[in-house]
Amino acid sequence: MIRKTINKELKELFRDGRVRTSIFIVLLLLGVAVWISSRQYQQTNADYAAAKVSERAVWENQGEKNPHSAAHYGTYAFKPKYPLSLVDQGVDKYVGTSIFLEAHKRNEAEFSAATDQTGLARFGDLTPDFILLFIIPLLIVLLGNNAFTKERELGTYTLLKSAGAKGWKIVLGKWTALFLPVLIITVLLLILAGLVLSNLSDYGVFQWSSLTAMGVVFLVYYSVFTNLVLWVSYMAKRSGISLVISLSLWIIACLAAPKAASNIAEARHPYPTRQEFAANVLKDKDAGLDGHNPWSKEAKLLEEQVLTEYKVDSLQQLPFNFSAYLAQKGEEHEAEVYFKHYNYLKEQYDNQSGTYRSLALLSPFLPTRFLSMAIAQTDYATHWDFSDAAEKYRIATQAFLNNNTAQNTRYGERGYKASADFWQKLPQFEYEPPTLGQILENNRSNLNTLGLWTLFSFALLFFTTKKI
Amino acid sequence: MMMFRYNFKYESILLFRSKWIQILIALLILLFGFATYNGQQKTQKRKADIEKVTAEIQVSDLNMLKLLDSVEQGLTVNARPWTIPNTPMAVGNYHPRVASKPPSELSFLATGQSDMFTHFVKPTVRGDDLALNFSEMTSPVQLLFGSFDVAFVIIFLLPLLIIAFSYDVLSSERESGSLRLLAAQPILLYKWLLQKLALRFFWVAIITIVALLLVFVANQVPVVDNFSTILTFLSVSLAYAFFWFALAFAVNLWAESSAKNAVALLGLWVVFVLLIPSILNQLGSTLYPIPSRGLMINEMRTIKAEATERQDEILDNYLRDHPEYAVNDTTQERSFWHSYMASQNLIKKKLEPVLSEYENQLQKQQQLLDRFTWLSPAILIQGSMNQLADNGSESYEGYRNQVISFAKEWRDHFLPMLYNNQAFSSGDYSKLPEFTYTPISGKSQSYVLLILLCSGLAVLGFGALRFYVSSAEKHSII
Repeated sequence: MIRKTINKELKELFRDGRVRTSIFIVLLLLGVAVWISSRQYQQTNADYAAAKVSERAVWENQGEKNPHSAAHYGTYAFKPKYPLSLVDQGVDKYVGTSIFLEAHKRNEAEFSAATDQTGLARFGDLTPDFILLFIIPLLIVLLGNNAFTKERELGTYTLLKSAGAKGWKIVLGKWTALFLPVLIITVLLLILAGLVLSNLSDYGVFQWSSLTAMGVVFLVYYSVFTNLVLWVSYMAKRSGISLVISLSLWIIACLAAPKAASNIAEARHPYPTRQEFAANVLKDKDAGLDGHNPWSKEAKLLEEQVLTEYKVDSLQQLPFNFSAYLAQKGEEHEAEVYFKHYNYLKEQYDNQSGTYRSLALLSPFLPTRFLSMAIAQTDYATHWDFSDAAEKYRIATQAFLNNNTAQNTRYGERGYKASADFWQKLPQFEYEPPTLGQILENNRSNLNTLGLWTLFSFALLFFTTKKI
Repeated sequence: MMMFRYNFKYESILLFRSKWIQILIALLILLFGFATYNGQQKTQKRKADIEKVTAEIQVSDLNMLKLLDSVEQGLTVNARPWTIPNTPMAVGNYHPRVASKPPSELSFLATGQSDMFTHFVKPTVRGDDLALNFSEMTSPVQLLFGSFDVAFVIIFLLPLLIIAFSYDVLSSERESGSLRLLAAQPILLYKWLLQKLALRFFWVAIITIVALLLVFVANQVPVVDNFSTILTFLSVSLAYAFFWFALAFAVNLWAESSAKNAVALLGLWVVFVLLIPSILNQLGSTLYPIPSRGLMINEMRTIKAEATERQDEILDNYLRDHPEYAVNDTTQERSFWHSYMASQNLIKKKLEPVLSEYENQLQKQQQLLDRFTWLSPAILIQGSMNQLADNGSESYEGYRNQVISFAKEWRDHFLPMLYNNQAFSSGDYSKLPEFTYTPISGKSQSYVLLILLCSGLAVLGFGALRFYVSSAEKHSII
């Protein structure tokens, strides 16, 4: 009975011209999207590699220079693009790609792609994630809205009843028939993306396991939509009504809920403005040690401490240059200030995530969106991780430079220059993004919500449709 | 005429009885209400932020004047030496003016780019134009999801409501068999369909206008002061609604069953609202790609490194080129700032071609879009709403340009003082340049209205064509 239902439904679907057209259009769009994204991905990575090499060359060829001048001169950390961004671009467009690492200051990533685009960019891009997240659920709505209502409208409902068909068998048959085309499209897309990625010369850390995890997330998301659409079709009296209701579900889940969530999250847990943030940082910085100001109260205090610790009576007798030591202590104080203020931002974002999580109960779109971009390493958390790694490297660089001055000069000595080959000794900035296991661990709540949606929607469908 | 009045009255009663009108009223008030409330909250926050920072500057100015007064009286002051405001560079760096872009009174209509860009910066004499960071500190997730604003309700949701209530106007009559009865009446079928849809359009228009005005008043929007802008906003929105009714008319005539109508109309919605904008955007960035910012940084670094190496030489050349700057200088004193400002000037000149490349590419993208906006009414209306709210890309570009020229004015104000080694005195305070934002005068909206109405009429005409093409098989419609 189940197989017969599947056969009949699939035949019906594919005999319908509009179904064939819609599936064809979706496949075409997917193909174009993958092609465009893979071109962009290659271009971005080539630019990234070039920028990284060139920046390192600029750093290494500074010539003879005072280490602290070099610290002000600074260096850049560039953010690489990860292979699965081919499938889901996530928030990549809205975050900066380069961080300037200099003395005394933690800078934010600059130059996000969206600020370099026209206002149209806010409508979204033709990327695989757009099709996977928005268009395929819409396809499910279009294909499945009349699954049960048509039986009523054509009068075959009574025939089914008299044939003694069991409710769950019919439902399972219809479910499989609706899910199968979607399954095939998704698997095709992921295999295509996987092949494109493994054939790129510099495909970096691409792993089939991440791609598979992503595929599973999307398939679960589609199964939720399939359940809901079939349930609506079962409950509705006419195809028209069923269509309008499932469409409303799609609008709420995919369009309205994310926007409303973003507004509510922002209203409840706002970020400071850029200027406000800078002012707060400055205030805290001023309250502590300033490496450039040996006359301040805090600097005098440090001086006393060091003198008692080393049991000497003047700074000249110290085994290292106190000025450089002061500079390093100032640097550490500033790093702490930044740590505190960036942590506040993170807290705000954690609170915002809480809002998203609670609204995810209204929309299966939200957990899917977050999971998919997390797996693709294009989410906000990965960006935080990168910017924290860059900050860690910045702090280490400052210590490296200040120590050089402290070891090689005496107190009061001016005009010290480190040798031209010294700069090469600074280790390069390397960044390792979190692994799939860590990502899934961090996104446990999203996984739970999506799981809850799946259980709930399956239960809804199979318990209410016992009787056909 | 009799027939029209009769139809109008009884259709309205039917719409009312089927709760169509009630649902529409409730939904629109709810959606517009939430959107306007959100938008107004953002606008208030923006205003408060600007007011706060302006107040802070006033306080810091008072302090500065006090310090100056003490210095001028020869007292020793308790401040870090490089921040004492008796040198022009200290004032230029530590006492900047606020260059703000206050929200327009109708800013809540469309978020546009306002969530991405900052609304006030404080340009200093130090640093170049690139150091002016115009992007706002926001969670990128928020930018990704976008805002639930009035523009979103009108651009995305209103067409769906129209589709939901008009996709089966003709086909449901056919499916229930009443179409044959109707065909026996002395009215042309297309006139009858047109009347039915016109009536729905009439109700949608009335409800939209009333709901919007109610919501605006409830959210303390100054409606009377902005009457003409609100009028433009309403007419653009209704022209957009008209376009979707025209599409519903054509699809009702051309397709056969309700199900096919629905799929066709939804397909068109996806095409106009989602696909064409994203394809055009993609096309723009593929044809005119923005060069890599990473490579720009490399170039900037090389230029800066060279400039630092040749600082003294640059300063000499600079003063030779600008003898007017040092004309009253008797001391010939040279500080860090003398060579810094001179090399900044050189760096700026050298960077100009690099930076203009970005602007050129972006302009080319924008031109491409401008040429094709008529392809999608959604793009058209988004552009005009952003403009009415003064939150569009052009507004922010205008603001950026104004700030950059103000930053130049600010620097240039202090340069003669620096090179003449003049002190900054309390008398100079009132001469400091101030920034005022002037909204750019945008394109006229009549052009948007015209395109929307024309495309609506064209679609209506295309629908009516059904009668001429198949006049031989006219009965097939019935």
